[in-house]
Amino acid sequence: MNNFSFYKGGKALCCLFLMGFLLSFSSVSAKIPFRKTSTFFQQHHILGIITDGNTPLPGVTIAVKGKTHTTAISDYSGQYSISASAQDTLVVSFIGFKTALVPIKGRTKIDVPLLYDTTNLQEVRVNAGYYSVKESERTGSIARITAKDIETQPVTNVLATMQGRMAGVSITQTTGVPGGGFDIKIRGQNSLRTDANAPLYIIDGVPYASDPIGYNQTATTYPSVTSPLNSINPDAIESIEVLKDADATAIYGSRGANGVVLITTKKGKAGQTTFTVNASTGAGRVTKFMDLMHTEQYLAMRRQAFVNDGLTSYGATDYDINGTWDQNRYTDWQKELLGGTTLLQDFQGTVSGGSQRTQFLLSGNYHQETTVFPGDFLYKKGGAQVNINHRSEDDRFRIAFSGGYTAQDNNLPAFDLTYDARALAPNAPALYDANGELNWEDGTWDNPLRNLNAQFLSKTKDLVANTVLSYVLLPLLTLKSSFGYTDLNTVETRTSPSTIYNPAYGITSDRSTIYVNHTYRSSWIAEPQLNWKKETGRGALDVLLGATFQHQTTEKLYESGSGFSSNSLIYNLAAAKFPKVLLDESTQYQYQAFFGRINYAYASRYILNLTARRDGSSRFGPSNQFATFGAVGAAWLFHKEGIFAALPWLSFGKIRSSLGTTGNDQIGDYMFLNTYTTASANYSNTVGMQPTRLFNANFGWETNKKTEAALELGFFQDRIFATAAWYSNRSSNQLVGVPLPGTTGFSVLQSNLDATVENTGWELSLRTVNCNTAHFNWTTSLNLTFARNRLVEFPGLANSAYSQKYRIGQPLNILLLYTFKGVNDQTGVYEFEDLNQDGRITAPEDQQTIADLNPKYYGGLHNELRYKNWKLDFLFQFVKQDNILYPMGFAGQMSNQPLTAGNSWVSAGDPASYQRYTTGVNSSVVQGDNLFNKSTASITDASFIRLKNIALSYDVPLQLTHTRCTVLLQSQNLLTFTRYKGGDPEFTFTGYLPPLKVLTAGVQFTF
Amino acid sequence: MKAIYTITSPIARFLMACFAFVSCDSFVEVPLPDSQLTEETVFGEYATANAALTDIYAKIRDRGILTGVNTGLSNQLGHYSDELTPYGSPSNASYTFNNNALLPTNAAVATYWNTTYNHIYAANSILEAVDGNENFTDENKRQLRGESLFIRALLHFYLVNLYGDVPYITTTDYRINSKATRMPLGEVYERILTDLENAIALLQPQYSAADRSIPNQYAAKALLARVYLYKQSYAEAANAASALINESGLFVLTPKLNEVFLIGSKETIWQLQSPTAGQNTKEGALFIFTAGPPSLVALHPNLVNSFATADGRRVNWIKMVTKGTSNWYHAYKYKERTFTTTSVEYAVVFRLAEQYLIRAEARARQGDLIGAKEDLNAVRKRAGLGDTDAVTPEELVTAVLQERRWELFTEHGHRFFDLKRSSLLDATLTPLKPGWNTTDALFPIPLNELNANPFLGIQNPGYEH
Repeated sequence: MNNFSFYKGGKALCCLFLMGFLLSFSSVSAKIPFRKTSTFFQQHHILGIITDGNTPLPGVTIAVKGKTHTTAISDYSGQYSISASAQDTLVVSFIGFKTALVPIKGRTKIDVPLLYDTTNLQEVRVNAGYYSVKESERTGSIARITAKDIETQPVTNVLATMQGRMAGVSITQTTGVPGGGFDIKIRGQNSLRTDANAPLYIIDGVPYASDPIGYNQTATTYPSVTSPLNSINPDAIESIEVLKDADATAIYGSRGANGVVLITTKKGKAGQTTFTVNASTGAGRVTKFMDLMHTEQYLAMRRQAFVNDGLTSYGATDYDINGTWDQNRYTDWQKELLGGTTLLQDFQGTVSGGSQRTQFLLSGNYHQETTVFPGDFLYKKGGAQVNINHRSEDDRFRIAFSGGYTAQDNNLPAFDLTYDARALAPNAPALYDANGELNWEDGTWDNPLRNLNAQFLSKTKDLVANTVLSYVLLPLLTLKSSFGYTDLNTVETRTSPSTIYNPAYGITSDRSTIYVNHTYRSSWIAEPQLNWKKETGRGALDVLLGATFQHQTTEKLYESGSGFSSNSLIYNLAAAKFPKVLLDESTQYQYQAFFGRINYAYASRYILNLTARRDGSSRFGPSNQFATFGAVGAAWLFHKEGIFAALPWLSFGKIRSSLGTTGNDQIGDYMFLNTYTTASANYSNTVGMQPTRLFNANFGWETNKKTEAALELGFFQDRIFATAAWYSNRSSNQLVGVPLPGTTGFSVLQSNLDATVENTGWELSLRTVNCNTAHFNWTTSLNLTFARNRLVEFPGLANSAYSQKYRIGQPLNILLLYTFKGVNDQTGVYEFEDLNQDGRITAPEDQQTIADLNPKYYGGLHNELRYKNWKLDFLFQFVKQDNILYPMGFAGQMSNQPLTAGNSWVSAGDPASYQRYTTGVNSSVVQGDNLFNKSTASITDASFIRLKNIALSYDVPLQLTHTRCTVLLQSQNLLTFTRYKGGDPEFTFTGYLPPLKVLTAGVQFTF
Repeated sequence: MKAIYTITSPIARFLMACFAFVSCDSFVEVPLPDSQLTEETVFGEYATANAALTDIYAKIRDRGILTGVNTGLSNQLGHYSDELTPYGSPSNASYTFNNNALLPTNAAVATYWNTTYNHIYAANSILEAVDGNENFTDENKRQLRGESLFIRALLHFYLVNLYGDVPYITTTDYRINSKATRMPLGEVYERILTDLENAIALLQPQYSAADRSIPNQYAAKALLARVYLYKQSYAEAANAASALINESGLFVLTPKLNEVFLIGSKETIWQLQSPTAGQNTKEGALFIFTAGPPSLVALHPNLVNSFATADGRRVNWIKMVTKGTSNWYHAYKYKERTFTTTSVEYAVVFRLAEQYLIRAEARARQGDLIGAKEDLNAVRKRAGLGDTDAVTPEELVTAVLQERRWELFTEHGHRFFDLKRSSLLDATLTPLKPGWNTTDALFPIPLNELNANPFLGIQNPGYEH
């Protein structure tokens, strides 16, 4: 492995050297007292146990009021000990609980039961990337979930954990196959380029490139090429923050336009060493199948098709009805091919602990999962996570290291069987013959299991490591520097062996082919920062200045080999008669920035937050490399004003607003250069060089202006807490391929187009504490998003290549459709509106009705109930949307149809909803079906309400003080309510396996 | 304070180092990726410049108008005229060609236009880069320029015959090309001739590649003969064809029909080499089928039935496939469908038989009946047929056109172009094809093209809305 391919100039090495240099001084620095703390004379040694009323609470901070340097932390069994004087008061605090003030009054044993404070989330510090901010004082729009929400979900993808839980964040699973991907849009689609709407992912301060690592010839099982995001292990995550508005994202400048996803991994806590072991196992199945015809209805349809077409005899290849196949046979192909049960197994172990000064966490995990397809396929994922924190005795020097390593090993069939499962005739032959071999039924069908012989294998290894060093230079001034490194290595292969063909064709391993993709990506980042904090009277000023240097290298090698002397040699490229290198590319991306933040809070009531960033990127030509972005955010905590004192039920009130710009540089590398690329085609034993693109070095950043206003209200000690946010994001200077006439040699020129895309919406969230007693707690939270996407301007749209894709004033995600009129009761063929009245149905003239495929609204309803040792957590996700019907092809051909297609036209006057059947010879019916799939009739309500997640846990009441045991029952997608007829309503590409419902049972030991 | 000073000193050093690193603007400048070269580097040495040139041949072979895959003219113009019948799923784009139902939005029509101009761009970029370039020998320059000019002429020739008046593109500057106007047909032909004359002057008569996969002076002359024939300059056409026919050391009609399309055939003037050793032609993979019904395409029964029974081409270049009572025919000029140990066939673009037929027609049209018959009979004889019984010049012209149908079927749309230049399209295709309109003689200009370039003017007749 070429782990050390650092930037040539050696600046990175220089950087590492400096880090080491600094580290070498840390011990020296640590020994020099910065401020002598006067130790107080202590009379008492106090012991006790902290509980939540029932179970002991580890990790609770016990402090002595007025003495900042005396603190203790409760251990795994809730026990603590602290020294204080008899007159002192203990301050017992723990996140999620009300802080208890306990006067010592001379006692030496004090047990403290803490009350759940489900309302005190305002005190939580929220990660905003370069800084953190108290929830109540944030000026930006930040959505957040924590380990508590993540741990209840039996999922392997980080995006899955966020589904339905965050306002303004729309996530769709694209396939139910393990290792598959998700689509995420934070506040809608900003860029006309559909592949340029990904948010920026940051793991513990290190940007994590989400650009695909797959190759379309290898990852054929997935609807889109492999995404690296599966490497992130949800179990290791402490919190995920999604930054949405200008105030929160402008500090990420050119990469903040589509939002920022901040992932923070778990850290160790001071206290006695704790071991946690989790083991769970479960099963998954497809949520919903389509209602398809049974043999009887199917054959009736086929026979009618022949009658309709005036054919008196069945063709030689009409095996389903000409007697070749058994007409009494019935196979539910969906059940046969997709009806399997996946088995999931998950193990996880964590050791954490440490002292006041040094804490550590080590964890390892392993997950494996089979598929619903027949055959032995297995997805394996394992990883390790290390976190170490240390601060020096004088509290001036701190170091935090986090490192995560994940390995994935995936073995899947090369093709998803969903299409076959829906199309195969219900009386098609058996899959296996009497000898257990694939049954080809004398060559009358293509056995769907032939595709299982074609395999997709993928191995991905991923490392993300980060070190943060900070040093308090002066009492108010802190220097911090973060160094991150990522390293990803993936190898994917996809085979197409001769065994996928009917042996009767006599195709040998001479035709077997393999595609191989090696992708290697590594990056490093260095971010020195200075932080200055000063309080003056009632005001508090917080200033941050920093710089970023980032370097990323991506190497791709795509190869193929065909013609093997035996299929057993297929994984050996050296044995291929025709090996070929399809792509060998190494690209570099360099990024440099300066950023700053000034935050001023007056009386903790009026808060102003200014952020800015100046970015430079190697993705742009010399004159356009740099650009500046910035934002202003402000908040007013009005409940602190005197006049509201008269309203005791109003416990919190805040108005916040922000305005600013961010950018987008997701255009790929080197687009501004005038270059020739090696073509993969050979001629004269020479590999050709082709002009890469039209030369234009003068394109620049896409900019996104974001505006937000929000009102946050808390009532009755925040037991009811509501937030309403309105936002408007306008993305302009769109970086697209500007369509050019073909006479220029290319159809596009990479350039900025004066088009504007607007995303506006309302995000509402409501959180209520329905009950909060020592034994029973019940909280409910709701998030709801109404979003609208609109193409505001696009000069020359009508004359561009996008003229049949977009409409001014309409969302980007639209379809232009024929207007469906129904079945002509005389001809029995679908009819459509002839908009231009020319007597013909033509495109694009008659294909002009707009269908909006964006969700109208979406959200989630989350409930958390706790009764004594029981805890129940469940989330309903709901999406109001339209989507396309699954296209089944014209009815009457040798392909199954939905049950509803039984109601078809037969003779003049029939008020049928389906057009007449045809075997395929009636071209107007075939065309009718073709137009139908591009018509308003193909759009249907695909709204759904889904019990996205339900988790029940029970703390087994053990009489052991050192051990806790929790039994867990968890499920994902358990129930789905929808009117959608085409199977599961959650998809972006038809013909791929939908998301699965998963049920797992597990146990967690802590000791 | 002293303590603070000593502590901050390494920190200060660290800080300074960090920010020193900041000051270099060059941080965001990156070296080129291994798979790309700047234009300057490509034309810095002959090997890479020549790779840019051969890439155009690879592209012509793999996509666009001359490719042997189903999207190429050999297939689609066969459907558009009366050579081929489409089969298979309705998504087979050949149905639209077969129905003569091309719309300005048709993707194939746009692809012909766009890929062809893309190849022309590549040729122009070589011409521009070679001009005044000090890195090449004179000989290299002549070859690079000659071949580029030949490609430019060849591609424009197909464009003008498919679309009518088209822009003649001679620069890579998109600011000029995006405002290109349609040039009258006659002027396009003048430009083609100029480019060809220049190419002939620059190119060597010898083949630089023994397999005749790199065009030489004679390839340019073969195209010249065809261009003159199409523009009805018969004397010049006959002269140009003679230049090839007389070169009997290089070119002869391959006596055996089954050897005409083999790599070593001395009838070949220019052929497109397969990408890897052992690979054969895309035409073979496309046309040949071994079991019925055909998956994509079969020969039109009219064409099959038009051959005389004695015609060797009917026997050797056509093959029947039977299933039950049904028969289908496929073109069998290329015999290999897949890999062989070493390649045996390449895709032929120009061959000598066409030159004989060009000269036969040119001579007939000029009244040289004896010469015309001689040329025509040379081709007939090779097919195992007797001498032509045509007597009058008109009969002779008709006989040559008929012979062209038999000799050149499924080769880059000869049939369609022949009917078109002889004004026989309506008479031939109207009775056969319900979808045929007179205006179908030209393809529509792609709608996106008209939209993207207002200077292009109006749509071809019959395609306006």
